[in-house]
Amino acid sequence: MPVFWLILIVLAISAVGFVVGRRRALASADGDSRNLHSLPIYYGSNAFMKSVVPALGLMFVWLLVQPLFIDNRISQMIPEAEVREGSNIGLVMSEVRRTADGLENAVNLSLIDDETAKNARIELTDITQRLRDAGQVVTNQITQPVLRAAQAYRAMSQASNLLMTIAVLIVAALGAAWGMMEGQKAFRARNTVEQGVMALLIAAASVAILTTIGIVLSLIFNTIEFFSLYPASEFFFLLEWAPSFSGRGGASSLGIIPLLWGTLYISFVALLVAVPIGLFAAIYLSEYAGPKMRSIAKPLLEVLAGIPTIVYGLFALLTIGPILLSVFGDDGLGWMQGQRAVLTAGLAMGIMLIPFVSSLSDDIINAVPQAMRDGSYGLGATKSETIKQVVLPAALPGIVGAILLAASRAIGETMIVVLGAGAAARLSLNPFEAMTTVTAKIVSQLTGDSDFASPEALVAFALGMTLFIITLGLNVFALYIVRKYREQYE
Amino acid sequence: MNDMRIVERDVDQNDVKIAAKGVQVYYGDTHAIKDVDVDIEDKTVTAFIGPSGCGKSTFLRCINRMNDTIDVCRVMGDIHIDGEDIYDSKVDPVQLRAKVGMVFQKPNPFPKSIYDNVAYGPRIHGLAKNKAELDDLVEKSLRRGAIWDEVKDRLDAPGTGLSGGQQQRLCIARAVATEPEVLLMDEPCSALDPIATAQVEELIDELRQSYSVVIVTHSMQQAARVSQKTAFFHLGNLVEYGETGQIFTNPVDPRTESYITGRIG
Amino acid sequence: MTDAAMTPESARPTKSLTHEDARTKKRNASERRFRAYGIAAICTGLFFLLALLAAILSAGLPAFRQAVVEVPFTMTQEQFDEAEEAMLKTAIYTDYFITSLSDTMQAEGVQIEFDEDAVDRLLGKVGGDLRAYYRENQDQIGEQIGFELAASSRVDRYLKGTFTRDDLQSGNRFFMPEDFDLIDAMQEAGLIKQVFNWNFITGVDTGVDNPGGAGIGASVLGSFFMMLVVLALSLPIGVAASIYLEEFAPKNRFTDFIEVNIANLAAVPSIVFGILGLAVFIQFAHLPQSAPLVGGLVLTLMTLPTIIISTRASLKAVPPSIRDAALGVGASKMQSVFHHVLPLAAPGILTGTIIGLAQALGETAPLLLIGMVGFVARYPDTFVEGFLEPNSAVPAQIYNWAARSDAVFTEKAWGGIIVLLLFLITMNTIAVILRRRFERRW
Repeated sequence: MPVFWLILIVLAISAVGFVVGRRRALASADGDSRNLHSLPIYYGSNAFMKSVVPALGLMFVWLLVQPLFIDNRISQMIPEAEVREGSNIGLVMSEVRRTADGLENAVNLSLIDDETAKNARIELTDITQRLRDAGQVVTNQITQPVLRAAQAYRAMSQASNLLMTIAVLIVAALGAAWGMMEGQKAFRARNTVEQGVMALLIAAASVAILTTIGIVLSLIFNTIEFFSLYPASEFFFLLEWAPSFSGRGGASSLGIIPLLWGTLYISFVALLVAVPIGLFAAIYLSEYAGPKMRSIAKPLLEVLAGIPTIVYGLFALLTIGPILLSVFGDDGLGWMQGQRAVLTAGLAMGIMLIPFVSSLSDDIINAVPQAMRDGSYGLGATKSETIKQVVLPAALPGIVGAILLAASRAIGETMIVVLGAGAAARLSLNPFEAMTTVTAKIVSQLTGDSDFASPEALVAFALGMTLFIITLGLNVFALYIVRKYREQYE
Repeated sequence: MNDMRIVERDVDQNDVKIAAKGVQVYYGDTHAIKDVDVDIEDKTVTAFIGPSGCGKSTFLRCINRMNDTIDVCRVMGDIHIDGEDIYDSKVDPVQLRAKVGMVFQKPNPFPKSIYDNVAYGPRIHGLAKNKAELDDLVEKSLRRGAIWDEVKDRLDAPGTGLSGGQQQRLCIARAVATEPEVLLMDEPCSALDPIATAQVEELIDELRQSYSVVIVTHSMQQAARVSQKTAFFHLGNLVEYGETGQIFTNPVDPRTESYITGRIG
Repeated sequence: MTDAAMTPESARPTKSLTHEDARTKKRNASERRFRAYGIAAICTGLFFLLALLAAILSAGLPAFRQAVVEVPFTMTQEQFDEAEEAMLKTAIYTDYFITSLSDTMQAEGVQIEFDEDAVDRLLGKVGGDLRAYYRENQDQIGEQIGFELAASSRVDRYLKGTFTRDDLQSGNRFFMPEDFDLIDAMQEAGLIKQVFNWNFITGVDTGVDNPGGAGIGASVLGSFFMMLVVLALSLPIGVAASIYLEEFAPKNRFTDFIEVNIANLAAVPSIVFGILGLAVFIQFAHLPQSAPLVGGLVLTLMTLPTIIISTRASLKAVPPSIRDAALGVGASKMQSVFHHVLPLAAPGILTGTIIGLAQALGETAPLLLIGMVGFVARYPDTFVEGFLEPNSAVPAQIYNWAARSDAVFTEKAWGGIIVLLLFLITMNTIAVILRRRFERRW
C-alpha cells in the first residue's frame, strides 16, 4: 500500500517540522515563552501545517489527474480497427485497464516475472490464460494492440507513481523547512496558523458543494455517453422497457415511461396510506392529546422513521406480500398473481412515510398562532370545526410542502421497491400487478456483470439523472413553500 | 381625571346578566384568581382594570370558558349567566361561547376573505337559512362593526390585508355576527393607534345598546371613557367594584387609589 | 357610526345553556367522529409498528436457535488405535458413532434402523468431527463424553415447524422422507436440544448448499470498518463545516450557496449517492470495488448534511455571552470558538453524529451499487485489509439473504434484521442518554 506509506512518511516529516519549529522559536526567545509573539505550540503547528497540507494536497491532485492523463495518452495508442462493431473506445479502454491490472496482479503473485509482463511479443493465448490464472476477469482473448496498450499503461502508471512519491516528499520537506525557518520570536505564528485553520474550515464547508458537483458531473457525463449510444427520443418516449441481456446495443428497448409510471403509481399508493394517517395523527397529537399521550405516542410513531428501509423491504416481501396474496390471490379473490405488486411496495412505503408526514405536519400545525384558534373558539366553534375551517386552511401551504417532501422520499426510495415491487416494467392500472420503478432498475442495471460502457448499464445514469432532477425539483419547491409559510407566522 | 363627565353619566339600574360567586382559578400551582364575587349587568359596559398579571384577563376568559382550552387551568366556584351555571356539566361550551362572544387583544382575523371571516360564526351555528340571509347578516354585522363602508367593495379580499384598526373592527363584527348576548373584550385597543382606538371606543359605546359588554383594559382613561361600571383587580383579588365615576373619583380601597394615582401598577 | 343604533337587536329568544339543541348535538357528533379519526390514525400507526416488530421477532428469533444432537460417547484406546490404522479412518469413526447412537436410543427404548447416509444428511460428516476431536484430546479416550453435533438446517426447520412432511415432495441428497422418522426417534430419546446459535453471530456467509451455517459475523465487521471511515471523515469535516458556517461565514452568495446545497443534499435519494460512489470512487478513482473504504466514503457524503445540520443547531444553542467573554479576555475569535464554544457544544454534536451514524449503518441502496453484496465468506486478515478487501455490510447481507430462495436464508435475513436493530437501538439509546445527561438549558 504505497500511498498509505507515503502518507505516513509525510506525517513523520511534518512531525519533525513541528518539534524543530517549536524548539527554534523557544530558542530565539532564550527559552522564555513570554518573549514570543504566540504560544510555542503555534510555531510548531505552523511548520507542521506548511509541510502536511501542500504535500498531501499535491498527492491528492496527482492521484486524481493521473488516470485522466494516462487514459488520454493510451487511448491515442489504440488503432481505430480495434474498436469493434457495437463497441466503443470506452469498452476497449476498460479492457486495457483490466489487462494492465491483471499483469500487475500476476507479477505480484509471481505467476509471471516483471520482464515477461513488459515483453510485448509474448504469445497471446498464453498471456490471456495466465491472467485468468491470476484471478483477473478477462472476457475476450487479448489482442496484440490491447496488450501493448496495457503494457504502456502499466509502465506509465509505475513511472507516474514514482514521480509522485518523489515530488510529494520534496514538497513535504521544503514545507517543513520553511516552517522551521519561520520559528523566530517576532513571527506571528498564531495568525498564520489560524489563517490555515480557516482555510481548512472553508474547505470542509465546500465539501457539500463538491458533493453536488460530483453528483451532477458523474450523472451528466455518463448520461451524455448513454445518449451517444442510444437515441434520447426513444429513452423519453418509448413505452417499453426491455433491456437485452445477451448482446450489446441495438436490441434493447430502454424507454423510461413504464418505469416512471411504476414509480409514480407506487408513490401514489404510499401517499394514500401515509397522508391521511400521518395528518390525522399529527392533528390529534397537536390539538387533542394531553401531554402524557403526546410523550408516549409521538416517539413511538417516530420509531417507524428510524427503522432502516431494508427492514421495510423485507416486511413488504415476506409479510405484506403473503398477507395480500392470501386475501387477493388465487385462494381469495383471484386478483393477484404474485407477492410482489404495486400494493405490496406501496403499503410498506406508506408505513415508512407515516412518521415523516406526521412530524412535519405536527411542526406546521403548531406554527399556526394560538390567537387564530382562540378567535374561532371565542365564536363558539368546536375543536373540529376550528381545525377544519381555520387551522388546516391556515396550515395548508405548509402541509402541501410536507406532502411534496414525502413524495420526493417515496420517489427516491429504493430497497422497498427492489424487494417488494417486482422486476417487470409494466404500464398498467392494476395495483395488484408487479411493476418496477426507476430506482429498482438503477440497481438492477448496475449490479449485474454487464460492462459499465454498454448502453444497458449506462442507462442507469440517465435514470439517475431523471430521478435526481425530479426529486431536486420537488425538494426545492417544497422547501420554498415551507419557508414562505414559516416566515408568514414569524 | 380629565373626564369628569362620567360622574354625571346616567347609570340605569339594569338586570344582572352574569353573576360570579367564589371564583378561584389555578394555573398549575399558581393561584391566579382568589375568591372573586361580581355581578355584571345587562346593557352595560363593565371595565376590568388592574396592573399586569392581576388576573383580569383570566377572569374574563372564565366567563366564556376559554380557559377550558388551556390544559393546566382549573376553575372553581360558580358563574351564572341568566341564572344558569355555565360550569354545569350539562353545559356545552360551544353553545355558551355562541352566547358570550369574545374579542381578543391582538386582532386575529382568519386567513380567509373578509366575508368568510364574518360569515364563519353564523355558518357554524346555522344562523342563516340561505345565502341571501347570510349576506344580510354579514352586512348588518359589518355595519355594526362600523367597518362596512371601508370594506363593502372588497368583501373577497383577505381579512389579513386590512390595517390593524380595521382588523380589530372586523373581529368585533365577526363576534357580533353570531348574535351574542354578552361581548367580552380583552384589551381590544392595546394593539391600535389612537385614531383606531377612538373608533373602537365609540363602537363599544354603541354596542352597549344591545349587549352586556365586559372590557379588560390597561388604560384607566379608556375605562373611564367607555364604562359605566369598573372592577379593580390586584394580585388575583377583586379589590373594588362599583360605578365608574365613584371608582375614579372616590375609591374606597387605598390600593385602588394608589393604582389610579399611579403609585402601583 | 349610527348603524348599530339603526338596527336594534332582534329579540332572539334566550335559549337555555343546559339544553343541547339539535344543531349542537349534530356538531358534537361530528366533533366526536373527527376525534375518532385521529385516534384511529394513531392506533393504525402504532399497529403497524407492532406488526413490524412482531414480524421481525417471530421470524427472526429462530435464527438465533440451533438444534444440536448430544450423544453420550465413549472411545476406548483399542477402538482409537484400530481406527487410526485403518484405510478409511473416518468411516470407522462414523461406524462407532452410529453404534453409540443406536445403543443410546435403544437404552431409551426407541427402536429405529438407519444408515450412514442418514446420519450424514442430518448431522454432517460425523466421522471427521469425531476423529478431529479425539486427535486433539487424546486424554479423553476411555472416558465418557457428551458429543454435541449441530443438526442440519432442515432438521432445524422441521423442529421449528416451518418444514413439514407435506413440504417434502420427494427425497434428495439433502433429505429423505425416512429422515423424519430418525429425527422423531432422536427427539423421543431426548437427544435433541436447542442451543444458542453462536455460529450465526460469529460465522460468515455460506453458499446455497449450507444455508444453516451462514452467519453474519463477517458483514458486521464490514459494517464496522465502514462506520470507522464514516466517523473518521464525517465528524471532523462536518464539525469544521458547521463551525465555518455558524461562526465565521460572512453573509454572502457563497455561503448561501453552501447552505442551499446542504439542505438539498439532505434530501437527495440515497441511490444517487450510490451512483456518485460508483462513478467517482470506482470508475474514476479506481478504488477497489466492494471495499468498506468506498462504502464508508459514500456513506460519509450521505451523512454529512445530517451531521452539519445538527452540529449547527448545537453551536447556535451556545449563548453569545460565552463568545463575548472569551473575546473580552483577549482570545482570538478562533480561540474563543475552539476553547469555549466547541467544548460546550460537544455533547450535542456527539448526539447528532451518533444519530447520523445510525442512519448510515442501516443504509443499503448505495452499497448495492458499489458492489458490497458479493458473497464474501471470510474475515479480513489485517486491519488495513479490513478497509480494502471486498466485504459485505449487515444491511447488504440481509438483502442478499432475502434475495435467495431457500427459506433458511429468509430466517437468517430476519435474524440479521434483529442484529441490525440491536445496533441501532444501542446507538440511539446512547444518543438519548448523552442528550439527557449533558443537555444544558441556557
